[in-house]
Amino acid sequence: MFNIIRTEWLKVRTYRTFWVLFGVAVLFIPAINIIVAEFNRNIKGETKGLFSIALYDFDTVWRMMGNVTSLFTIFFGFLVIILVTNEFTFKTHRQNVIDGWSRVDFLLSKVFWVLFLSVFALIITVITGLCLGLVYGKSDIGFDDFSAVWFYFGQMVLMLTMALFVGMFVKRAGLAMVLYLAYTMGVEQLIVAVGKKYVGSVFTLLPIQAGDEMMPLPIVDKMVPNVSLYSPTVYALTIVAYIGLFGYLVYRKMAKADL
Amino acid sequence: MSILSLNNIAKSYGRIQALKGVSFDVPAGSVFGILGPNGSGKTTLLGIVTDVLKADSGTFTLFDGPAGADARKQIGTLLETPNFYHYLSAFDNLRIAAAIKGRGEDDIQRVLGIAGLTERQHSKFKTFSLGMKQRLAIASALLGDPGVLVLDEPTNGLDPVGIAEVRRLIKELAGMGKTVIMASHLLDEVEKVCDHVAIMLKGNLLMSGPVSQVISREDFIEMGAADLERLKQVIAGHPAFSSIVASTETLQVSFHNGTTAEEVNAWCFENGVRLNHLIIRKKSLEAAFFEITKA
Repeated sequence: MFNIIRTEWLKVRTYRTFWVLFGVAVLFIPAINIIVAEFNRNIKGETKGLFSIALYDFDTVWRMMGNVTSLFTIFFGFLVIILVTNEFTFKTHRQNVIDGWSRVDFLLSKVFWVLFLSVFALIITVITGLCLGLVYGKSDIGFDDFSAVWFYFGQMVLMLTMALFVGMFVKRAGLAMVLYLAYTMGVEQLIVAVGKKYVGSVFTLLPIQAGDEMMPLPIVDKMVPNVSLYSPTVYALTIVAYIGLFGYLVYRKMAKADL
Repeated sequence: MSILSLNNIAKSYGRIQALKGVSFDVPAGSVFGILGPNGSGKTTLLGIVTDVLKADSGTFTLFDGPAGADARKQIGTLLETPNFYHYLSAFDNLRIAAAIKGRGEDDIQRVLGIAGLTERQHSKFKTFSLGMKQRLAIASALLGDPGVLVLDEPTNGLDPVGIAEVRRLIKELAGMGKTVIMASHLLDEVEKVCDHVAIMLKGNLLMSGPVSQVISREDFIEMGAADLERLKQVIAGHPAFSSIVASTETLQVSFHNGTTAEEVNAWCFENGVRLNHLIIRKKSLEAAFFEITKA
């Protein structure tokens, strides 16, 4: 695995597109949360305390981190799509195998990015949450709602696995990104909205919604308490099952298809 | 030892059967040419050997053992087009190849030197000409000094000097005892470089073996006389006569048993025909190839 990681490092070391997108994706995590925290503080000031929910107070801060930060997971997804589709564009996926990687090695090299980016984003999110809680909050450090961050991490791994899936099957960067963007930012929400209304809450078990259900905005949660019909365990298992499903489909394609 | 042993390999793309049960062995130390026109299945065959394509049926071994990733690490391969990261330099691309092959980076300068790319090693791959890309691919195949090379159309895109250099390089490598498996649609390339050949056509293996046996090119004698019709009658009566092709001014005659020009001249003279034209010629390579592929 060390050899695979080192080789992947050599691929991106001087790749400007990667570093720009990576920088944007990482910076968005603190940046967008600081904006929301500032906005929250201003609102509280302007309404003279009528609106008094401290969104970035411990432990609410963890739910804010999960909810707000997950909106920008798509940037990490684009990174995965670029890293995967580049290989198909340059036909280097073939060359990697010709030169001596097994097909599974090649797949692992991309799974590495899914895990690395997810863990990196998790670390940045936790650090940002701690800082914002200390700066904008009034309570002592606490981790009661930290499960929202774990759901954010699970949703991140799932969304990046989906990006891997789309990249592997579509192979072209532009088309893969459009499809990924369309599904994650619109199509699924539409299906969930219509499905929930006409069929039932089973539609909350769609891939991204399963994570979103466990990361509601704290304000919404206060106004519409506990709208989810399944336990957190069900949603957690659903996310794991989707990761397994997409992972298996990608593995099967890589193991059997002509490259 | 067989470097590569193919056993009844078949492969289809939808309705098109690209390989129809191909079997042959590549002996160690040979320069083995896979010869055939475009679309004959050469690249498909090498794609299967390098695991970028999956055979529908059949098996193959590398180094008399299972054809896994470890076996491929011992083979330097150039398959079809050069595949490199466009945004990286030649040097960085070779670092990746070296990392995957599990070899150190200390060989990179040597192979860049062989490919004549030392000065351009830090230029991005996307700035390279087609010939330079091909040379980088050859450099990558040579990385780590592998004992076996698989080269698919290695002179593609090269200028005449580059073509001559690559052919000389292949001969040098063969002289060092390395095994080279080379696919080509260029007859003269195979004849100049290879000692063994497999001839493929439309997914079938027509023949394989040493080049001198597979592409047999017996001599024929071109002759002329004032009375061509009389000459034709006389020569047809020669005991070793085999076949004749007539043109307006000369006859091209094949004989059995290595009949010499002197014997033919004497035969004609004894039968009252004086020759005004007598040359020994070799059957063209194209003619020999077309004979095989027509069969």
